[in-house]
Amino acid sequence: MEAINKPQKRRSRIYSSEARVAYICLIPAFLGLIFLTYLPLFGVLGISLTNWTGLKSPEFIGFDNYIKLFTTDPYIKDSIIATIYFAVISVIGSMIYSLFIAMLLNRKIPARGFFRAVFYVPYVLPAAAIYVGWSWLYEGNFGFFNYLLSELGLKKILFIADSSYVVPSLSLISVWLAGNLIVIFLAGLQNVPIVYHEAAEMDGANGWQRFRHITLPCMTPIIFYNLLMSLIANLQVVTPALSLTNGGPSNSSRFMTYLMYDQAFVNYKIGYACATTFIIFVILAAFTAVLFKTSGKWIYNEGGDDK
Amino acid sequence: MSVAAYGGRLRSKKRRDRMINILTFVVVIVFTILALFPIWWIFRTSLMTNAEIYKYPPSLLPPNWLFSNYEKTLEIFKFWKYLWNTMVIIVPSCLAGTFTATLCGYAFARLRFRGKNLIWALCVGSMLLPAMVTLIPLYIGWTRGLGINDSYWPLILPYFCGGGAFNIFLIRQFIMSIPRELDQAATIDGAGYFRILFSIIMPAIRPAMIVVALFIFIGLWNDLLQQMIYINSSDKYTIALGLTNFRGQLKSDWSLTMAATCLSFAPGVIFYLIGQRYFVEGITLTGLKN
Repeated sequence: MEAINKPQKRRSRIYSSEARVAYICLIPAFLGLIFLTYLPLFGVLGISLTNWTGLKSPEFIGFDNYIKLFTTDPYIKDSIIATIYFAVISVIGSMIYSLFIAMLLNRKIPARGFFRAVFYVPYVLPAAAIYVGWSWLYEGNFGFFNYLLSELGLKKILFIADSSYVVPSLSLISVWLAGNLIVIFLAGLQNVPIVYHEAAEMDGANGWQRFRHITLPCMTPIIFYNLLMSLIANLQVVTPALSLTNGGPSNSSRFMTYLMYDQAFVNYKIGYACATTFIIFVILAAFTAVLFKTSGKWIYNEGGDDK
Repeated sequence: MSVAAYGGRLRSKKRRDRMINILTFVVVIVFTILALFPIWWIFRTSLMTNAEIYKYPPSLLPPNWLFSNYEKTLEIFKFWKYLWNTMVIIVPSCLAGTFTATLCGYAFARLRFRGKNLIWALCVGSMLLPAMVTLIPLYIGWTRGLGINDSYWPLILPYFCGGGAFNIFLIRQFIMSIPRELDQAATIDGAGYFRILFSIIMPAIRPAMIVVALFIFIGLWNDLLQQMIYINSSDKYTIALGLTNFRGQLKSDWSLTMAATCLSFAPGVIFYLIGQRYFVEGITLTGLKN
């Protein structure tokens, strides 16, 4: 009996000391998950049902904030539209741009590392400085883009000071910032098995056919990853509104996160802002869910059916 | 197909490939110039007087290379102070975030314990939770709950809690790619779990740790929103806050504003040049490991 029990006991002792080490390692993350993630998440829901302004103690008002947001709020509809508009053109633009650049850099060209570094540079600059810098390029009279327009004989555009151009103008900056997508795409392209291309070439496939039927299918997992990451990031856009436009002109760049900031930290309607936050959260979750749901249809799984 | 014909096709293919490569190179150069142009335009503006800026047609090169603009800017734009303040936030956050992310990643990748699946699910779930959702409750927690106002702690302390789920995930994936035989050999030699982490795992995952540090760096660097809500007094401003404020003061003095912008670019570029290899290596990893 003893001989059988002994190793058993020893194993469980090792196991428990292993678990102890694991719990010690996880203390920080555990604290973070509770106090920085899940409690605040429920906090948003809870506060959104009150009329808290930060001064008086909050009163429970049920769904009044939500009703007000959907019926009388002057900003939220435009804000949602502006954000989705911005996110969609930024995501499409930066996906196309970065895949194109990555495919160029994937060919045999000299100093590839240098070029890759160049396209990545915008990503490491502080966002606030980028928007301030670009605001000069977009300046209404003497900015570089208006110089180009007047050289082409076109009328000057106010870009970020014109409500119909501000969102596309900011999207262009966000496309320019897509250096990290390029690097990830490039890594993915280098993993596409070269034998596929050789075989297709033997069969007489042209460049477009190879792109369409080899490169794209092999890249779908990476495309999904980049799409998800840039969609989530762009739907939360706030820095250009904070550092440049203050939501203007005439609310055309009052993005959802900026709207929330404005309600909570400028107007101190904290309960109301939490209701807005929750709506934004639902919108973001819906976009993410749709992306995940449809992903099964277009993601090519290289392993085949083995999973 | 005869051998000769095949050889001919191969030769013409080679020639065509060379043509395509040259063409690609030209296109790459054009796009490189386009991508760098905004930065150049900002830089050249920072070296000109306002009168020179407004001339038509604008010149591509600054006529006088007025580096004195930077002296003038530094008199109003307290760059060194802002840089110091930014570093006071970034350095402890990067160190603590990387360290705690490594601890957690190690636990998830290697150790067996009860509740692992649940905690892992909570962790992955929080990755999909957008950061802006928790902003207001956290702000209330820090300022009302703990009474911390106008301080860097709300920006730094979260990084002592695992450095974010994404980073934990990254480290875990990386540790899982290291052969287990390495730690088993060490266990036989009598090394404990922490010994294995510090002397075997950590050296092996150094690139991943550097990447995590860089991600935290970029994240804080860009996070104007949180800096704006937590920092009030101007002597605590970070670079991002200082620049936003500076632009508000000097709305139309573009040459000084651009000089301040270039100053704000500089630290990022310098860090990037130092860590370039790791940056690219690491970003590559994130794409492939997920």
